[in-house]
Amino acid sequence: MTDRCATVREAIPDVAAGRATAGVERLAQKHVATCRECRAELALARAVYATRAHAPEGTAERVLAALRSQRRTRSRAGWGLAAAAVAALALGIGIASGPHGVPDVATAELGEDETEGELWLSDDGVLAGAPVWETLSDEALAELLEELVPSPTGGQA
Amino acid sequence: MTGHERVGAAESDAELVQRGRSGDERALGLLVERHQDAAYRLALSITRDEDTAHDVVQDAYLKAFRALDGFRGDASFRTWLMTIAANEARGALRKTKRRRETPLEAVGPVGSDERDPAESAALADETRRARAMLERLPEKQRLSVSLRIEEGMSFREIGTLIGSSEGAARVNYFHGIRRLRELME
Repeated sequence: MTDRCATVREAIPDVAAGRATAGVERLAQKHVATCRECRAELALARAVYATRAHAPEGTAERVLAALRSQRRTRSRAGWGLAAAAVAALALGIGIASGPHGVPDVATAELGEDETEGELWLSDDGVLAGAPVWETLSDEALAELLEELVPSPTGGQA
Repeated sequence: MTGHERVGAAESDAELVQRGRSGDERALGLLVERHQDAAYRLALSITRDEDTAHDVVQDAYLKAFRALDGFRGDASFRTWLMTIAANEARGALRKTKRRRETPLEAVGPVGSDERDPAESAALADETRRARAMLERLPEKQRLSVSLRIEEGMSFREIGTLIGSSEGAARVNYFHGIRRLRELME
């Protein structure tokens, strides 16, 4: 193997894949015309490159769909925690203010008309009788909070 | 200028990463399209199962995108993604313990339009045989050969991916090529 062989073999992967500069390509082609070993190695590298696999169609769409789904799940989990915090706060205030201080939001406002066992989604952000927190507007959330927190006179909204 | 124009093909990975951090889905989509083939080939080379490799690509991108804020850019996005994909692929391989051979018909298009049919057929056979022989190399040699030829990666990058030094990656590549030529003879 000559020094030129060593130089060309370094460049063979790029020549085989069409990534080499014009100068390197010329040098390699000139060399392989007279060097059987390097010619065979270039043919082999070309064969490897020609048979490379490709990602299945729709991979990008699949990844982005999974990403969206993951974000939705995380968002729900975040709102679930926020809801739990609000509920805990309301319960604490209710206990502190006596037996009439615990507001029954589900039956008073949200749960009376639902059909038991039927899954439904209404425009007011309620799924199967329970609020879907992420769909509630800021105003709706503020109203709920007002209902949860008793007024200074002890009554409910 | 629209968001779509801003994340056009001329944008660098670093710029797309920056946009992706702020939730730009088109930028993330372009990052997938740019590197999905390389990540898939790497995953396929490790797992040797097409379905598993596809799942690995998806999981690798999701992990990369989740960690985008922490990506410092010391390595290129591609090397970083490929490292995640390699780890995912090895994890998937441990889980499934499957080492199914990739069917020959799964390999890419082969041949030349300017040769006579007999010559083209012989060349196509040789080309397919080269791929089949490549699959028989030990993992580090196989990865070194395919990452160097198919992805144009430097030996330093390959070393990072196969858990070796730059010098060891170079040795694995040249040993792999030599072994491949022996197998073809």
